[in-house]
Amino acid sequence: MRSKVIERARLQLWAMWSAFLLAALFLLFLSLLPLDTAPALWAGPDLLLALALAFSVRRPEYLPALLLVGVMLLADFLLQRPPGLMALLVLIGSETLKAQSTALRDQNFFMEWLSVSGILVAILLSNRVILAALLLPQAPLGLTLMQSAATICAYPALVGAAHLLVGLRKVTPAEVDGMGRRS
Amino acid sequence: MARERTESEEYAAPLKRLLLGVLGIFLLGVFLLWRIDSPRVERFRAEVIDRVVPGMDWVMTPVTGAINLVRDFQSYQRLAEQNQELRRELQQMKMWKEAAVQLEQENARLLDLNKVRLDPQLTHVTGVVLADSGSPFRQSLLLNVGARDGIVDGWAAMDGLGLVGRISGVGQNTARVILLTDSSSRIPIRIQPSGQAAIIMGDNTRSPPVSFLESPDLVRPGDRVVTAGDGGVFPPGLLIGQIAADPGGRLRVRLSADYERLEFLRVLRNPGVESITETGGMLVPSSRLQGPPIAAQAQTNEVKSD
Repeated sequence: MRSKVIERARLQLWAMWSAFLLAALFLLFLSLLPLDTAPALWAGPDLLLALALAFSVRRPEYLPALLLVGVMLLADFLLQRPPGLMALLVLIGSETLKAQSTALRDQNFFMEWLSVSGILVAILLSNRVILAALLLPQAPLGLTLMQSAATICAYPALVGAAHLLVGLRKVTPAEVDGMGRRS
Repeated sequence: MARERTESEEYAAPLKRLLLGVLGIFLLGVFLLWRIDSPRVERFRAEVIDRVVPGMDWVMTPVTGAINLVRDFQSYQRLAEQNQELRRELQQMKMWKEAAVQLEQENARLLDLNKVRLDPQLTHVTGVVLADSGSPFRQSLLLNVGARDGIVDGWAAMDGLGLVGRISGVGQNTARVILLTDSSSRIPIRIQPSGQAAIIMGDNTRSPPVSFLESPDLVRPGDRVVTAGDGGVFPPGLLIGQIAADPGGRLRVRLSADYERLEFLRVLRNPGVESITETGGMLVPSSRLQGPPIAAQAQTNEVKSD
């Protein structure tokens, strides 16, 4: 009986890992489509980043650090970013959110949105600061600000989509045992 | 049971922290390695892209096609309007065609008179655009031709009409084109009627600005911009676009290539410019040389070049 429960939990874990991987690959694929080859005047949301943050704040166990680093490093290589930097910052941000996730579990969505936005802005800003410190060329500030605003605005929609499509839900009190741990 | 779990968690927490530390140091290492030895890591990046992107191609092509179809469909709605526009343009084009035919005849006559031979070494490889850079901050494209087809870093990529960018990063089956609009693109140019040299510097907008122009007074909007061939990067004389002045009075280049729809690109094979490293040898014994040596050298050069 017990082993069956564990078996099912493990299966669920694998399913969510592969769901994250597939969603990330899909988002990368979308951004690589050669649709607009002229320079854009506006920047859309960085959905991959938002997805990673949503996973880390809602269900930390569904986004192991190794998976996150693998995906973000691939994104760094594919999207012509300095390899490793964005992945490192996202890893730090994600771990911070994971540490907060237990506290945020009982709060409403607005608090979650707020803390995710804080982390997101911190990631993008420190990215700029590090690039500037190392004298590397960077994107115009306006575009970066636009991108972070768009990402913050897109976050609720993304969480809704993840809720419906992947079943990414916050831990309910029923799933938590007496010690505050998840069963 | 509960006790077992706490024990395993006691082990798990430090292990997890260790893993995080290792991952962090690894990523930092990759970034620093890239900062220090960029070419090696960029080669690795080309390799990664070469593995990943052609695998996506079979879905990418139909999806791109479908989206473009929908966009075309939207433009059908303004059909009548466009028809009018096209008629007007056709009228103008006829006028230009007449002028072009006359010029062509004149040009042919003059070429014949001069016995000019246009560079026969400019052949090209045509590639299909596989993917774009994927981020709004970078302007580059991925072509489906690579080292297999003999593509070399630094060659020029053009669409049917004008220069689009230069090859930077070659994998076995793919090559990346840094567009003229990318903020890292710097191309030496020559502005046609006045023959002034300048550089266009991409700045992530549709019309890159012209910099290092010696006397801007000699340049007017509408002047033709072609590659200069300085530094031996590009063959000289490839069309880039026309000069335009932005509202701030800054000179920019309106690119001739159709950046809205880049589907097929020509990569020009550039055999490289032969460089002359030594001065011409003396034709007369130095003992009989008269006059200042510089004049003598100029003379021998003249003789050589004949």
